[in-house]
Amino acid sequence: MKGPTRLAFAALGAVMGLMAGAAVAQDPVTIGYSIARTGIYAAAAPSQENSYKLWQTQVNAEGGLLLPGGERRPVEFVSYDDQSNPANTVRIYEKLITQDKVDLLAAPWGTPMHLALAPVLQRFKMPMVGNTAASVQLRTVAPGYIWFPTSAIPDAMGAELAKMMKANGVTSAALLANELPYSQEFRSFLIPALEEAGIEVKVDESYPPDIKDMTSMLVQVRDAAPDAVVAMTYPADAFLFAGQAKELGLKAPFVLSLIGPTIDAYRKANGTAVNGIVSSAHWSAQADKWPKGRPFFDAYVSAFGEEPDALDSALSYMSMEILQQAVAKAGLDPEALREAIATGSFDTINGEVRFEGVQNVVTPTGFVQIQDGKIELVWPESVKTADYAPKQGW
Amino acid sequence: MDTLLSGQLLFAALVSGSLYALVALGLNLVYGTLRLLNIAHGDLVMIGAYTAFWMFSLFAVPPLVSLVLAAALCALLGWAVYAGLFRRMLAKPDLAKRVEANSLILFYGISVILQNLTALAFSSTSRGYQYLDTVITWQGISMTGNRLLSLGVAATICFGTLLFLRFHLFGWGLRAVIERREAAQVVGVNLNRVQLLTICGGFAVAGMAGVLVSMTEQITPFMGFPFTIVAFVVIIIGGLGNIGAGILAGFCLGLVETFGIALTSPGYRSILIYGLFVGVLMVRPEGIFTKAVRS
Repeated sequence: MKGPTRLAFAALGAVMGLMAGAAVAQDPVTIGYSIARTGIYAAAAPSQENSYKLWQTQVNAEGGLLLPGGERRPVEFVSYDDQSNPANTVRIYEKLITQDKVDLLAAPWGTPMHLALAPVLQRFKMPMVGNTAASVQLRTVAPGYIWFPTSAIPDAMGAELAKMMKANGVTSAALLANELPYSQEFRSFLIPALEEAGIEVKVDESYPPDIKDMTSMLVQVRDAAPDAVVAMTYPADAFLFAGQAKELGLKAPFVLSLIGPTIDAYRKANGTAVNGIVSSAHWSAQADKWPKGRPFFDAYVSAFGEEPDALDSALSYMSMEILQQAVAKAGLDPEALREAIATGSFDTINGEVRFEGVQNVVTPTGFVQIQDGKIELVWPESVKTADYAPKQGW
Repeated sequence: MDTLLSGQLLFAALVSGSLYALVALGLNLVYGTLRLLNIAHGDLVMIGAYTAFWMFSLFAVPPLVSLVLAAALCALLGWAVYAGLFRRMLAKPDLAKRVEANSLILFYGISVILQNLTALAFSSTSRGYQYLDTVITWQGISMTGNRLLSLGVAATICFGTLLFLRFHLFGWGLRAVIERREAAQVVGVNLNRVQLLTICGGFAVAGMAGVLVSMTEQITPFMGFPFTIVAFVVIIIGGLGNIGAGILAGFCLGLVETFGIALTSPGYRSILIYGLFVGVLMVRPEGIFTKAVRS
């Protein structure tokens, strides 16, 4: 090797050494997750992933994720498409933990994914704060490495909704339920709660998820003239229900659509017709008592050009806030982190969150209502941002 | 009896039926003429829906105008698929024999690509827009403007296509290709031209159906698959490759679905639809209306 060449190689080596040094200093904290980018849950998943991305941008803008010693490290995501298949979720998280060796985990989208994942987390002793999962089955998950910040659990929701309906003078109701699990689980807890509250169930119909026309069902509801219509929808049929309930001019003053109304597109597609619709969520950007909520809402709108979903986007962001605060206290060691999440109290966009077992025991189960196109929390009294108002036509 | 005489239900059945007929029409044209099993058909509906959504949201272009744009876009896609994938395959007799099975796999791939490209381009977030949702009441029947428009447009395209096939020279050529492919060539039908224009037309019709769907349903990259299924059910009930019978079967499916649910329960929807489907396959595998329409 001639002199100048040798010199060039030496210089290159020195530069690479410096770069490696710089890389060590800037070593990112990797957070792994799988998400339903394709398949049946794909339409719902962006509301979750957008919150992750927003959180990442904000944390990195502050200089990175704060660790106990005051050090900040940038956050990097490692994510894969689970194709809406829980078996893929399991494989992906195993890969994230064993091959990608990520530092932290974020949650996938949906109840089946969370349930499938719980044993994996237990086996590898990796903590993960869940978010977009809601089922009484979550309580059967062994406490340890997974937590659920949601308070939209069907048994509590059934009881709270019956209370809310009774408090607002409802004496009869029509129930329409999608055959998918969350709606059916909610229905199974709602019916006894309504009976107990003395509310007569005039119509009780279940319908398949691929329903394309609800006219015959809604004619039946119209003829029964109940005070309340509780439509246990998923997003696709929530659009259908709103359009056709308007067409038939349902007169009930209390109308609930379970999942769908908190999605930005739902309000864009239905406009003022859906003012007055009640839905399931326990967060609203309008709440002054949760000062972090409004900045989150504004940042989300500015980043993605649409409003965050009051349920999924809020829960996903909350889960990252919890992780962030736990890491600041305990660092990246999985056991220390587990202890910090299990015993800590966290300040989130939805107020304080604290876990007992797998469940958040602070956030109350709530219901929101669309009022002038905004999502207002109308139940329970302790956290409401506006009074419930009976629906005035479509 | 009151249920069976309900004008409200009849309107709902006609809206669903016309949409089923329209979606199936495109699939039937492509299958009848080219023997291609287009399981990406529902994804063309999705492309039509996105076209209408973006044109409306960004430029306030009404869906009636987007019908033309969506048709053109999907026709262009049809041309690309035909020129790029199927023309050579159909021209070689040994490959043409296997085209039906191969097309299933190819279109599966196209379906996945279209869905994922759309998700990458626009994200999977649900979309929707508000258009013509005023409720009109006539003779006690409440009709939302967009559903009435959907019925009118779908029925016009379906019956317009039927008239075109019956009275236009090209329509005769197309029917000849559907019924006797080799004989049509012998009497001078330009097979390549008929095939190209039919695939473009079939794709365009699906795109237009998507525009109509976009006015009332949520729009996502993965919304197409149920339309593919319904289109296959309709054309098998009517008779594969039989255009008129397919349209009639679409309307029948709408009637069976709406009145069937009213007389039983919404939980029976799938049993009614697939029961009819399996029943037809068992009793008249060539399609229930095949003979009636051909005679």
